[in-house]
Amino acid sequence: MMKRLLPFLSLLVLFVALAIASPHFLTETNLSSVVRQTAVINIMSLGMTLIIIAGGIDLSVGAMLAMCGVLGTLAMQSGMPVPVGILVGLAAGLFWGSVNGFLTTRLRIAPFIVTLGTLGIIRGLTLIITNGLPVTEFPHSFAFLGEGNLLGVPFVLWVVVVCALATHVILEHTRLGRYAFAIGSNPDAAIYAGVPVAFDVTAVYALGGLLTGLAGMIEASRLMTGQPSAGNGYELQAIAAVVIGGGSLHGGEGSVIGTLIGALIMGLLSNGSDLLGISPYLQQAIIGAVIILAVTVDELRKRQGRAEA
Amino acid sequence: MIAPGWDKLQPVIRYTVHSVLLDLHGIRKQFGGVTALRDGNLAVEPGEVHLLLGENGAGKSTLMKIVAGMEHRDAGRMLWQGRDAAFRSPAEAAAAGIAMVHQESLLTPHLTVAENIFLGREERRPFGWVNRRRMIEQASRVIEEHHFPLHADWRVERLSPAGKQLVGICQAIQHGSSLLIFDEPTSSLSGAETEEVFRIVRALCARGMGVIYITHRLEELRAIGGRVTVLRDGATVHTGPLAEVSTDRIIQHMVGREMVSIYRRQPLAPGAELLRVEGLTRRGAFRDISFSLRAGEIVGLAGLIGAGRTETCLAMFGVDPLDAGTIFVDGRPARIASPREAVAAGIALVTEDRQKTGLALRLPIAYNITMANLRAISRLGVIDGRAQGRVADEYIARLRIRASSARQAAGRLSGGNQQKVAIAKWLFRRARVFLFDEPTRGIDVGAKVEVFEVMDELARSGAAVLMVSSEMQELLQVADRILVMRQGRISGELPGRTTQEEIMRFAALEQESAP
Repeated sequence: MMKRLLPFLSLLVLFVALAIASPHFLTETNLSSVVRQTAVINIMSLGMTLIIIAGGIDLSVGAMLAMCGVLGTLAMQSGMPVPVGILVGLAAGLFWGSVNGFLTTRLRIAPFIVTLGTLGIIRGLTLIITNGLPVTEFPHSFAFLGEGNLLGVPFVLWVVVVCALATHVILEHTRLGRYAFAIGSNPDAAIYAGVPVAFDVTAVYALGGLLTGLAGMIEASRLMTGQPSAGNGYELQAIAAVVIGGGSLHGGEGSVIGTLIGALIMGLLSNGSDLLGISPYLQQAIIGAVIILAVTVDELRKRQGRAEA
Repeated sequence: MIAPGWDKLQPVIRYTVHSVLLDLHGIRKQFGGVTALRDGNLAVEPGEVHLLLGENGAGKSTLMKIVAGMEHRDAGRMLWQGRDAAFRSPAEAAAAGIAMVHQESLLTPHLTVAENIFLGREERRPFGWVNRRRMIEQASRVIEEHHFPLHADWRVERLSPAGKQLVGICQAIQHGSSLLIFDEPTSSLSGAETEEVFRIVRALCARGMGVIYITHRLEELRAIGGRVTVLRDGATVHTGPLAEVSTDRIIQHMVGREMVSIYRRQPLAPGAELLRVEGLTRRGAFRDISFSLRAGEIVGLAGLIGAGRTETCLAMFGVDPLDAGTIFVDGRPARIASPREAVAAGIALVTEDRQKTGLALRLPIAYNITMANLRAISRLGVIDGRAQGRVADEYIARLRIRASSARQAAGRLSGGNQQKVAIAKWLFRRARVFLFDEPTRGIDVGAKVEVFEVMDELARSGAAVLMVSSEMQELLQVADRILVMRQGRISGELPGRTTQEEIMRFAALEQESAP
């Protein structure tokens, strides 16, 4: 029980502390800006949760996010309707996710290496496509995705909730999710049990790509530009969210709720630092320390759990 | 009469206390809600081999982990060389002179024998510089003194399991241990290697070292042991000299009932042929393997370690590719190039190493049981959680898996219960051809009989069973007929009611038959 409670309690404590420390924290403007700022990392880290549980890792999601945003906005620029442009962005994510999955399963190269490679390839191609310049000419209505409101709350909040629910259901209630746990926990046992390991791993990377595509479109909508340099370093933030939320880089462990809490803790830390006037340089150091602290606590808890059995 | 002798008696008492190396009294240990040890008692004297017996889950490993500082006791007393002791870490226990040789030795495979022996205890020199030559000299001295078949500069990864254990023993000797704990040292060793380990253990005892020896191989007890202690359900139920107790009596102490001794299966008339292999060949592993398995049959596959039995099973299950040969399922040639295709064809493999290839240890029992047949409890890719729970509970009850709940992680079960989970996975998959590779390895007597009963039940329900085992006695108890492999070929086929000598003849000797 403590396992699920501890990250949640830390989040709660952080929330209350910020509410007390800064009068600007509990305002509608600030809270909705937190939601909007964290939405992109939130959605990316959902896909990363799937991948990490299956024993993989994806370093290319930051670059992927930029390419998806660029291709989606380019489609709109060329006259396609906004929803079609968004679909183009999603398709690009799905494609690159599948490529990562295909390379790790068929060529049996470690995912760290594969995605380090595709990170370079995708970023390079994005810069070539745009000539390094941002894409800016597209309909204003696209801003709704990132900046609009629905039923009084930011539209992206609905998007995050729907994505989180879907990912949760996939992980906990479908064969695909169960196989992801099995593969991450013991790939050989999964193979020997007849689990379609190659297909499943590819599907997991593809889903991660799809979610990254969506995050890319939200980022583009918030900036109202297709930025070829967007998403730099986001992959590490997504991984950090999963790990703070109890995911294990050895695979087989992690949860959607944990990851969401992890992403929110990082989002609140950064928002709180802004409100309290802490320098952005120090912010980075704080978040780094929190990652180590969270994993240490988690490790200690697991060791205790092991000693108990 | 007592008073005058009292002062003379005292030194004797003191001497007695000192003559006991390790003394454990009423050791208790709980893990969560499960009591692993209720009343662990054990006294080891210097210079003796003390056998520690008990079924899996009886608490042997927990007791030894407490001695070696890997676990902490909840209650009870531990005297080490006459003094109260509580080791907080393996390092503390090692410093006090207690060493454990593990089943799978904890060695660094890429380093040499000498480097492993001195790992963490290298001679301290400025700037962390290591004096390689002196290290090799010292290691060589230990190796030569004990006539170990090792070389100080060999890389550990190239050693056999027996060789790795010898390195573990060298570590203990080099660090001046006075108590050595062996946890099933011979479970992965061949006959000759076992003899070698025995010789070394005897030599160590002759120098006054105390040895605790855990084993499941009851037939080897008398070759090695002096005294015996039996644990059952977390408590010591018997302790005394081995010479005063029969093997049957020991088994009774272990299982706590009067049954066991010899399980013997009633064979039944075989039905239709379910699987046939013809001319299976994999270069460097096995050649020209042909046999068939029929419904209701249990076929034994005997042979020495390295004869190619496991390799044959792995190839039949699609793990390793075949160079030649055909597998027929239900009389039709089947394409089996992956475990997935084997499973689809109704073949199941209960692997030799359940931790490595049989189970996802961190996942719940329920997940493991349903892993090979999720389709049966899901619709449109969505798993029916209630059906999953039902299935898991059903198989936990049917195979008498001792677990606190279906949500318990498989890795927390004892070896025998883990094996049952691995078998349950294939029962639920409704496989028709079962390949069991060393199904009783590291399993206690009671669980062995239960595994045999499951195999018998499978055969009776119309499945075909192939059982690879190095325990000839078990093959004789269970198999309808026995195939013997030698150096990658089938060297003979024997009826189930044959003898160990006959099996050995085909397993170990060149046959003088015509080509």
